[in-house]
Amino acid sequence: MNNNSISLETFEDVADSTDWLSTPLSGLAAVEAALRCQVCKDFYKTPMLTSCNHTFCSICIRRALSNDGKCPLCRASEQEMKLRSNWSMEEVVVAFTKTRSDVLLFAKTSQDTIAEPGKRKLGDTEDDDSASQRSGKRLRSSTRLSKSRSIEMTSEMARLEADVPHQDSTDFEPDDGLVACPICLQRMKPLQVDRHLDTSCPGEPQPERTPSKPSSRSTSIPNAFSSSSSPKKPPARTFERLPAVNYSMLKEPQLRKKLQEQGISAAGSRQMLEKRHKEWTTIWNANCDSQYPRRKGELLHDLDVWERTVGSRAPTNSRTISLGAQIKDKDFDGAAWAAKHDSSFKDLIANARRNKVLMGRKSSEDEKKGVDRTHGSSKDKGDEPTPQPDSEMIASLDHSEEPQEQVDSVTQATGIIDLTGEIASSNASAGELSDREDGAVDLDASSRTTTI
Amino acid sequence: MAQSTAHRRLLQEYKMLTNNPPDGITAGPVSEDDMLHWEALIQGPEGTPFEGGVFAAELKFPKDYPLAPPKMTFLGEVFHPNVYQSGLVCISILHPPGDDPNHYEHASERWSPIQSVEKILISVMSMLAEPNDESPANVEAAKMWRENRPEYERKVRESVRHMLGL
Repeated sequence: MNNNSISLETFEDVADSTDWLSTPLSGLAAVEAALRCQVCKDFYKTPMLTSCNHTFCSICIRRALSNDGKCPLCRASEQEMKLRSNWSMEEVVVAFTKTRSDVLLFAKTSQDTIAEPGKRKLGDTEDDDSASQRSGKRLRSSTRLSKSRSIEMTSEMARLEADVPHQDSTDFEPDDGLVACPICLQRMKPLQVDRHLDTSCPGEPQPERTPSKPSSRSTSIPNAFSSSSSPKKPPARTFERLPAVNYSMLKEPQLRKKLQEQGISAAGSRQMLEKRHKEWTTIWNANCDSQYPRRKGELLHDLDVWERTVGSRAPTNSRTISLGAQIKDKDFDGAAWAAKHDSSFKDLIANARRNKVLMGRKSSEDEKKGVDRTHGSSKDKGDEPTPQPDSEMIASLDHSEEPQEQVDSVTQATGIIDLTGEIASSNASAGELSDREDGAVDLDASSRTTTI
Repeated sequence: MAQSTAHRRLLQEYKMLTNNPPDGITAGPVSEDDMLHWEALIQGPEGTPFEGGVFAAELKFPKDYPLAPPKMTFLGEVFHPNVYQSGLVCISILHPPGDDPNHYEHASERWSPIQSVEKILISVMSMLAEPNDESPANVEAAKMWRENRPEYERKVRESVRHMLGL
């Protein structure tokens, strides 16, 4: 019920470093693996450097440290206080993830074309120019591919090279027929230089030496990076890191107060309070590390996810707790519940009855054979006859144990739920079970007496 | 986004194992609705009495995975010093560094969040080849392995044949 509301990421959506292995660029698998946290196996998110020089996501290392205080990689003792942000790593991850899908697509499609070489040899009569023009689409053969790739490459390099000197020339040698003074760099006609040096040269480089020079250095080049990198000064932090708490020093009311101060739920057992506070501290502090801290509402959402999956509202294996919570809920629809589980209740009752009959038969058999039976084997016999129903019964007991109490309290407290006798009958079946167990004990005792 | 850490991490591992499965190992969740319950198949390592066998096992992950290790249980009988009669596998990588009931394991061999299903299964494969008789989960098997190796190997081979229905 609670899980269905969670939007699930599907298997196909998961990106992994092994995605590269099936492409010609399999070497990128190692590159991508190096950009992933070893704990969550996902790309580093707010990477932090430990004092043993390992990098993990902030939240991963904080969780791991609050769990056992050691670096997950080398097990060196490590303290949360010593963690340092690894911003360069974050930049690399951002840059890589931005281009990942394009590169992967490119790698995959180029592989397709390699996989079908020489399909249309006739096409090879086209000249290389047109091939290179179409290189973005489909290529016919691997030789053609590499050829046109190299053409592409050279043209790309040519473009880059053309760019660079062009920029340099605007920087240093504007094509204005002037030359720069070797000392103050002021530009003048070649004939004027000597005279300038003798009379008016200030003797040191002047800042505004070439007014014609576009300020490309200061704008265009940093621009190329500034979008993704060059971590800005983190926005003024309204977030203060929470200190680690020694829970054994806190009394429960104090702990509850701490939780309330943080604006998070203070319900549940002592153990749950500690876990919740620990998780909140981890989420909060990891957010403090982030260059782009999120709002508290989002953090509360994260805590809610934790609560549903690991915390107090997590589904358990026997479903006991979630079942209990469900039944305790004041909107609990008793009639629907009874209708839905009608058959299983009936099965349980039938099982319990069958067991009782079985036990009755067994006990009479045992009493008959009891004389030549050792105590041990008769005891085995007592356990043996119902292995299958037994486990079912225990499972049903598991279910009924806690919810049962709760149902009782609910029925008492609210008085609205008429469980139409169905839960009551499960009570009855549990009762029968305990009868049976009593029976088994009696049986044991009786066989013991007969052996003696 | 709104998924537990364990779920996301296991999805990632599943993808990894599907894209690049190690030799002789297959593993995945029984159903994608419950990522905390996996089934794995391990081939008996070559050159050991387990050769030729395919061993099915069940992996149950805790909710706080990968902080805590999963439990691994063979489905079906495996006669081995480090496997309990119930099929439960007793191997250091599956033990959290905190508790060491047997006081024999180095912390470095124990569970850490950086370990993975793949590493566990590879460890179990090598455990099949080289039992660790310092921590016998199955005392009878450990004793036989130590004192009467031919008989141990015969028994294992027989169980493998039996398993294959021969």
